[in-house]
Amino acid sequence: MSKHLKVALVDDDIPNTEVLRDFLIRNGYSHVDKYHDGESFLESLDRFDERAVVLDFDLSGGGDLNGLEVLEAVKERSPSTHVIFFSGQDSLEVAVESLKNGADDYIVKSNAAFALVKTSLDKVYDIQVLKLNERRSQRISWIMAIGWMATIAGVALFFAGR
Amino acid sequence: MEIIDRLSAGDPEKKKYYIRLFLDTLEPELDNLKAANVALPQEPIRAILHKLKSQVQTIGAAETHALMAQQEQHIKEGGQIDQSQLDETCAKLSTLIENLQELLK
Repeated sequence: MSKHLKVALVDDDIPNTEVLRDFLIRNGYSHVDKYHDGESFLESLDRFDERAVVLDFDLSGGGDLNGLEVLEAVKERSPSTHVIFFSGQDSLEVAVESLKNGADDYIVKSNAAFALVKTSLDKVYDIQVLKLNERRSQRISWIMAIGWMATIAGVALFFAGR
Repeated sequence: MEIIDRLSAGDPEKKKYYIRLFLDTLEPELDNLKAANVALPQEPIRAILHKLKSQVQTIGAAETHALMAQQEQHIKEGGQIDQSQLDETCAKLSTLIENLQELLK
């Protein structure tokens, strides 16, 4: 089943990013962008960005920004963007810092890492579906309320006119 | 190689494509590692080890990955690796590269 969640992978590790992208596509994420440095990703970000971002910490092979700096910029520009930290750093300090700064998850690169990224994205996808359903039912409630008010007003006008 | 085998799903061309992708990084970085001077500050060595260890892990070379992770951690904590340790890593990486090149034939 195709999942309508856009994903951005930000990692300077070119082969692993390519493999992860193929893995996610194979698992239903049809729209996966790749960026090999934080700067080019931030350029692509807009205020209402609905992508989930899988962000590496050590981006030194790509640009000047590290993952924490990119995370800070993402949360400033587009607070609702979901960020999954994906790092080779098995460091408690980096993990705490990223979660404190608004990351949704912290995954250490390991044998099971690709599957963990998918599980984390699945959670983001489920949250988006719930939010969308909530917005839909709110809209339906409003339409029904307006419909009722129009009916009552119509009936009132009818009797007033008699 | 499990993840690559799974993703290439029996397609030998796709598997070769992934192997080439990894070789494109592993080969030049191995040269950089061989040329590194252990007497100088070892941050460049740590950066190469960090970069390659995830790739080595994806390929499935667990022992080489463990060695590289251990050396990276040692440098990060302010330690130094000596020439024989660097040679050991280079030898393991060379073997890995040869095995990958073999798969391309």
